[in-house]
Amino acid sequence: MSVAMHRKTRKSRYRTKFWRNYLANNYQLYLMLVPVLLYYFLFHYLPYSGLLMAFQDYKLGLGIEGSEFVGLKHFHTLFRSSEFWKILKNTIALNLLNLVLYFPAPIILAILLNEIRNVVFKRVAQSLMYLPYFFSWVVIGGMFVDILSPGTGVVNKILSALTGGKTIFFMASTFWWPIMFVLSTMYKEVGWGSIIYLAAITGIDAELYEAARIDGANRWQQILHVTLPCISQTIVILLILRMGSVLNVGMEQILMLENAAVKSISDVISTYTYRMGIQQLQYSKTTAIGVFQSLINMVLMLLANHISKRLTGDGIW
Amino acid sequence: MKVKERISDRIWLVFVHVFVALVVLLMTLPFINILALSFSGETAVIQGRVTFWPIDFTLNTYERVFTESQILLALRNTVWLTLVGTVINVVLTVLAAYPLAKRRLKGRNVFLALITFTMIFYAGIIPHYINIKNLKLLDSFWSLWLSGALSTYNMIILKTFFQSLPESLEESAQIDGASPIRILVQIVLPLSKAALATIALFYAVGWWNSYFNNMLYINKAELTTLQIRLKELLSLTNSNLFQNADASEQNKIVEESVKAVSIVIATVPILIVYPFLQKYFVKGVMIGSIKG
Repeated sequence: MSVAMHRKTRKSRYRTKFWRNYLANNYQLYLMLVPVLLYYFLFHYLPYSGLLMAFQDYKLGLGIEGSEFVGLKHFHTLFRSSEFWKILKNTIALNLLNLVLYFPAPIILAILLNEIRNVVFKRVAQSLMYLPYFFSWVVIGGMFVDILSPGTGVVNKILSALTGGKTIFFMASTFWWPIMFVLSTMYKEVGWGSIIYLAAITGIDAELYEAARIDGANRWQQILHVTLPCISQTIVILLILRMGSVLNVGMEQILMLENAAVKSISDVISTYTYRMGIQQLQYSKTTAIGVFQSLINMVLMLLANHISKRLTGDGIW
Repeated sequence: MKVKERISDRIWLVFVHVFVALVVLLMTLPFINILALSFSGETAVIQGRVTFWPIDFTLNTYERVFTESQILLALRNTVWLTLVGTVINVVLTVLAAYPLAKRRLKGRNVFLALITFTMIFYAGIIPHYINIKNLKLLDSFWSLWLSGALSTYNMIILKTFFQSLPESLEESAQIDGASPIRILVQIVLPLSKAALATIALFYAVGWWNSYFNNMLYINKAELTTLQIRLKELLSLTNSNLFQNADASEQNKIVEESVKAVSIVIATVPILIVYPFLQKYFVKGVMIGSIKG
């Protein structure tokens, strides 16, 4: 018994000694993390308490502590309002349009860039196509509105020269606006988006192409039967991750491109939240929309990550 | 057989080159059009003669924009916002990435889980706004600097980079009794100059282009920033977009040149840092695609 006790105290003494040693060597690492954790606490975890506003009739003067709790009232009115379903529909529609029209673009671009053997041409092309990614949405939106303007825009100038005076009011047409929305995404991101596929293509074993060539495959057939199958995993991962953010539409992009004439199709969850919440002070209602959006987003992201891991053995975390 | 293949390949390659060249051209021409407009004389712009080359070259519009539109104030504010913001970003990113790169750090998984959760679940615009309001940070650059003090994504990239450095580098220093901070400053950081430069540039471009949070948190005219001012200048010509009757023909078109000049002013600094950015970012994207 005394031996056992002795062993126990010795063990705990070792343990305290280990900890004392560990902390003596590593306390500075924890010190470094103090401002970091403070940042995450103040600017990510503290705002979570604001989620309570969704379940209150929040009044600015009373704050979260003083405002009255109303349960799921705001969610009930939300799900019964046609406006909510309209912005939800717009958000998903614009995302699906982006998915169908934009998603394949960087893949095609990467494959084509990979075909180019002239190093200088390739480098110049890449430099020019990556560049718009670093422009702000204000600049790109401004540029789009500018060149598409019916009065002075260069696009309509060319169009009217070709058709003998016909012009199109692109940004005010509910048919053309979504197309211009996707084109602006493409303009900003297609080059940048191709980098990850180019990296995947570069990683393909050259012997596979060699074997295909010996079998008589031309370049086009090599793309179909070697390149595409080899990068399919990357495509699947990125596609799934894309699906995981189907409720997110770039807010700045919409703010730059929208106008009164196309409001019925351009108004999305985030712009609506901003307008109603910040400009019209309907904090509780818009927080409820935010809760809805964040919950769906979280489920979709966890699901996307799970599917990605199941299918390819790799996820984002 | 072989000859036939070569012909099909050649046709394919010609197609690829022409197609890529066309795409590049289509992507470059809008900006060239804006540049041409910004340097063209008023009458040429009014008559709609400017396409891709300045006509009646002049710097008048630049002079007007710089003297009349408060853009100098916005530029000064944005430079200050970018400088301070980037310094805060780099310091905090290093402070986060270095300890979290150490597998021996007890509690590391808890910290990482807490951080990852903030990426998965976003509190939303309104709770963030109320939070900044409650912290009494509205109408001060501190709202932007502090709430944007760190990007989790960049932090994970830097953490992955630190993890890729060979352990042996630090081990000998550790045996000599050097503290973690000393090892970081004297050994790790000098080896990470390229990675730090890349991250700093990305943060800086982010600050330069920042728009939405500035609009959300800052309402003071004297704290206006470049993208905000640019958006205001661009909105002036919304009358043009809708062919508003009460805007005179003359004004409409001159606004057109003002718009072009503002866009150019906002993008020139990006064009200047772009070669430096490009040198590193491809690597950055690839590191980012490998999970940390």
